[in-house]
Amino acid sequence: MYFSDYQTAAAFIKERIGQRQPCVGIVLGSGLGALADAIEEPIVLPYKEIPNFPVSTAIGHKGNLICGTIAGHCVLAMQGRFHFYEGYTMQQVTFPMRVMKVMGIETLFVSNAAGGLNPGYKVGDLMMIKDHINMLPNPLIGKNMEEFGPRFPDMTRPYDPELRKLAREIAARVGIDLKEGVYYGDTGPTYETPAEYKFKFIAGADAVGMSTVPEVIVARHCGMRVFGVSVISNEAHGDFSDDYVNDGDDVVEAANAASKNMIKLFTELIRTL
Amino acid sequence: MTDRITPYKTAAEYIREQIKGQTPLVGVVLGSGLGSLADKIENPTVIPYKQIPGFPESTAIGHKGNLIFGDLAGKKVIAMQGRFHYYEGYTMQQVTFPIRVMKLLGISYLFVSNAAGGINLNYSIGDLMIIKDHINLLPNPLIGPNMDEFGPRFPDMTRPYDPALRKLARETAASMGLKLQEGVYIGCTGPCYETPAEYKFFRTIGSDVVGMSTVPEIIVARHCDIPCFGMSVVTDLAHDDMPDDYQTDGDLIVKAADAATCKMTALFEKMIEQL
Repeated sequence: MYFSDYQTAAAFIKERIGQRQPCVGIVLGSGLGALADAIEEPIVLPYKEIPNFPVSTAIGHKGNLICGTIAGHCVLAMQGRFHFYEGYTMQQVTFPMRVMKVMGIETLFVSNAAGGLNPGYKVGDLMMIKDHINMLPNPLIGKNMEEFGPRFPDMTRPYDPELRKLAREIAARVGIDLKEGVYYGDTGPTYETPAEYKFKFIAGADAVGMSTVPEVIVARHCGMRVFGVSVISNEAHGDFSDDYVNDGDDVVEAANAASKNMIKLFTELIRTL
Repeated sequence: MTDRITPYKTAAEYIREQIKGQTPLVGVVLGSGLGSLADKIENPTVIPYKQIPGFPESTAIGHKGNLIFGDLAGKKVIAMQGRFHYYEGYTMQQVTFPIRVMKLLGISYLFVSNAAGGINLNYSIGDLMIIKDHINLLPNPLIGPNMDEFGPRFPDMTRPYDPALRKLARETAASMGLKLQEGVYIGCTGPCYETPAEYKFFRTIGSDVVGMSTVPEIIVARHCDIPCFGMSVVTDLAHDDMPDDYQTDGDLIVKAADAATCKMTALFEKMIEQL
């Protein structure tokens, strides 16, 4: 990818959304597409129409950029993201973040469905991501693009402390039980074995998933503020019953059930921007 | 989109022709410690890898590269004499290619073996360990567009090693007076052996032995729903607090490993007999 590839995509989107200037980019993760319906006066841009954009293949994932209004603020939402396990390169996975940056978006909101590692977490819980552990290939490997950021980006505060503070206040006010923990990013696509669950918990993670971290790394590289929330879509067990099976449909269902609170939290947080 | 299953089908068809349409019950990956099991296969049909369309070729010196079909303990088996390791430079698709071909040939079980470094401080050289679970630190072989012909996009890994086969192994070993360990195998790329700090890390996160194979094969086999059984022979011991004058006794290792491989071969044979 060259800087001009990002510029071309950004210019195309800008032309399609006219005078609008989004202040926040949002990545709608697994089963959380319902937030898209809360966007007012939407302009929908299919990924396949945007120059250089990869095309989404994952089950249940749509592939659109949606520009519109939430809580009085202009947003640009990704309906469907790109996962490393689908076979995309890390440059493709993180392409949209840099396009957002070129468009002048300085804040990124991400969501995902994640497996709970923390024994205190239940299916349907919302976990604000306070930090991550990256076990995917680093998306910044390769020649550094100075236009976006430094060779060695600081990762002391990957998830913006101010936004997390606001989210805690909002959650307390509207009555959402908001957990706060560490997200472990792995490639997938297999779910964890029991031994892997144990390992990841010992390593200090509270939830595990197959996305988000590459996007956050690239967003932080170019100085965007990041806010992330995981929906806990299954629970880790030290000991699985004989008939226990991980089920992709269950994951989607749990994510859908939690999406009401998620939408409320995101909407109120956007209102403060 | 190109038909991604075709190379697997082509290889399977070629093999099926060689074995006259017979269906193997068990696929066996003859890793370290199981080499002599090949000699016990009766009425063998030996198919060199290089004759099978689409098969990767074994490059490692001294490694054999054959599929052997025949009878073992009264059951039809297809055995891989020589496997493909990621550290040799093969892609994960190459490493796991034979597993999917065996699936198309109709195997009902996959048995694998390997040599592994002992991490658990209670293990001794020559111990046999039933793999009850694994931790994967290799690239996942299922990355890429999913092949729905073989299995789901997000495969469950709750029981990578079949509980019934593990039980059969415990019972069979008990009847033979064989002592078995049962533990977690951590799969790494290699080819370096572990540093003391890495040994300590792997022990801390819950693994009992470490090796450079097996896990990719198991992931791909579980993706297409083959019940798996795996066994490690402990060929060296990890110490993260080795004294400065510590030296590995090579002769002792060879002797212990040889004794263990006899036991493993006998155990696999007896288990297959009962399938």
